[in-house]
Amino acid sequence: MLELHLYGVLRQLVNGSVPTEDTILNLPYVQGESFHGLVQRLGLSMSDLGDCFVNGTLVHENTVLSDGDRIGLFPFNMVLLCGGQHLKGHGYTQSDVDVDYY
Amino acid sequence: MSRLLRIDMSSLSHKWMDVPSKYSDFAGRAFTSSVLSDEVDPTCDPLREGNKIVISPGLLAGTSAPSSGRLSIGAKSPLTGGIKESNAGGLTGTRLGQLGIRGIIIEGMPPAGTTDWYSIYISKDKCEIFKSNEWAGIGLYELIKKIWDKYPGRPGVIGCGIAGQRLHIGAGIFGNNMENSDPGRFAGRGGLGAVMGSKRIIAIISDGRGGEGPKPKDKERFDRGRKALTEALQNHPVTGRLTDDEGKPFGGLANYGTNILQNIISEAGGLPTHGFRDGRFKGAAKISGEAVHELVDKTREKFGDAAEGKYGHPCHPGCVMACSNVVPYEDTGKLQVGPLEYESAWALGANLDIDSLHDVAELNRLCNDLGLDTIETGNTLAMMMEGGLLEFGDGPGAIAALKEAYDPKSPIGRLICSGTLIAGRTLGVTRIPVVKGQALPAYDPRPIRGIGVTYATTPMGADHTAGYTIAAEILGVKGKISDPRDLKKADLSRAFQATTAYIDSVGYCLFIAFAILDNDDGFQGMVDTVNGFLGKEIDVTEYGLAVIKKEREFNRRAGFTEKDDRLPEFFRTEPLPPHNVTFDVTDEELDAVFKDL
Repeated sequence: MLELHLYGVLRQLVNGSVPTEDTILNLPYVQGESFHGLVQRLGLSMSDLGDCFVNGTLVHENTVLSDGDRIGLFPFNMVLLCGGQHLKGHGYTQSDVDVDYY
Repeated sequence: MSRLLRIDMSSLSHKWMDVPSKYSDFAGRAFTSSVLSDEVDPTCDPLREGNKIVISPGLLAGTSAPSSGRLSIGAKSPLTGGIKESNAGGLTGTRLGQLGIRGIIIEGMPPAGTTDWYSIYISKDKCEIFKSNEWAGIGLYELIKKIWDKYPGRPGVIGCGIAGQRLHIGAGIFGNNMENSDPGRFAGRGGLGAVMGSKRIIAIISDGRGGEGPKPKDKERFDRGRKALTEALQNHPVTGRLTDDEGKPFGGLANYGTNILQNIISEAGGLPTHGFRDGRFKGAAKISGEAVHELVDKTREKFGDAAEGKYGHPCHPGCVMACSNVVPYEDTGKLQVGPLEYESAWALGANLDIDSLHDVAELNRLCNDLGLDTIETGNTLAMMMEGGLLEFGDGPGAIAALKEAYDPKSPIGRLICSGTLIAGRTLGVTRIPVVKGQALPAYDPRPIRGIGVTYATTPMGADHTAGYTIAAEILGVKGKISDPRDLKKADLSRAFQATTAYIDSVGYCLFIAFAILDNDDGFQGMVDTVNGFLGKEIDVTEYGLAVIKKEREFNRRAGFTEKDDRLPEFFRTEPLPPHNVTFDVTDEELDAVFKDL
């Protein structure tokens, strides 16, 4: 299984969710699935997302998921506060970054 | 034409002066740190006559540049023993800008044994220093109301509360918000409220009516920059407007405030929880910016126009990001505290294992009323929990303890106001999260090492705003070859610290970082506003490094050495879950940050 923790407007993916409680969606694990694949499975696109995490580490769209992963999904307007998003190279603000530090 | 105001509290006199040419490009932090460096003996006792308080609006305060009304307050810090600049929003930066005041230098102090208290009123035509004994010892909510009742014209108000008046070094300098409903615009850090108390000053009231305000030398360039920066800010999904063209939630800060970070940093495993013992807080959602947003909507629905909760609230006139908020009481809809910032919600919440939004907001309200820095106070309460005087997670117990601070005879109350280091030492705690005597804020330096380098090396004591390397460094929890941990921490921290010193000086809010780092047009817009205002070219990094150089030199003369640029031992020896990492940046790398400066 994958344990998805949803935040901001993405909480709407779970009926009856409230911001004062953890909103968790459990999904079956698919062998070899990338983060991008998971996003497609949810009916979302990468542009719907801000900074997202797998087991507390910032995720890249090509990251391959493992069974039991904890995935933190944040929407497009929820990111780490300091700018420099291009340093992450995940296409959040710039898809054609000069240097992908990721 | 900008001018200076020099106030001598020994003779209760003042004089107006032209800005000396050596300070012509300086405002905000550049001005406060330069004056302190030039005029204050670094070895002086910060709470005696030799110290000075320097107040300076940013260079662009009072202009139409977006989000540019921040205020700097500087002094030798009684908390760190070094130079300090603390920065806040509120009304005063704009009001002083409107009056064309580049800086206020307050020196001397009334003779020993004086029991009188004073306040200062500044307007277009006068500066008046007057006795205000009736304002001593009262809570700051009551004080700001009395001042606005006495002075029409919606003046800016800054000053110190009960804690500062008693010379407690956990005290910050408060400011009123734009509606004067809350004294929560704090230049909180460094114990500067105690310095103001040592001068026997309760409040400084600035009335901007009739002032002409500063004029840019190259108006065309200034306006071009202003428009570019505004556009970059408003169209960025983090700093942008509350809703998009279809009415859907857009700007992250406008919707959730700075406390948007509670969930994000917790999910990243870098949220200091239970006194820096865990990196993830189970109760984060309950005290998050999202929870505040929902509470505001709920009380609006229930109480209609009588509801006082807000999000998308500007912290100073002309701020287009509007990341401030007002937390309402759930049962009445009336204001509880405004704002509840991320740092405060962390210090008084996750840090103490308290997951009740009501209790966290109430602790923040008490800090605001007493005139205490929330970060220092939250960490001090954590020391009391570590030391066995309180239980972790006990919100009502923490509230009761903090209320003791109103009683001047309560030892517990005085301990709470005395800062993290003193409380920790007093209670036999060995895990005391301070650098240069100042408590750490809301990013654990073990998984977020770049901010740890900033905590260690900034002249300000542990301070996240001194060089905010979070985005670049949060990735450092990974462990592969392409990992940004391979980036030179020293270079990263130095670059961020220099840029920050520039932004603190020109008066912009630090959160314009999104628009200037993510958007080249936004960066050029910022530069154009500053250079258009001054009518000359200023190099961002050189300007910032020059400020830091003065600050470090002040600290060196005060007795600081490289040994002071270190984190407490437990960050090196106790791995932090969930990543189970320690702070492993070497001393050599820390010393390299400013080695050649």
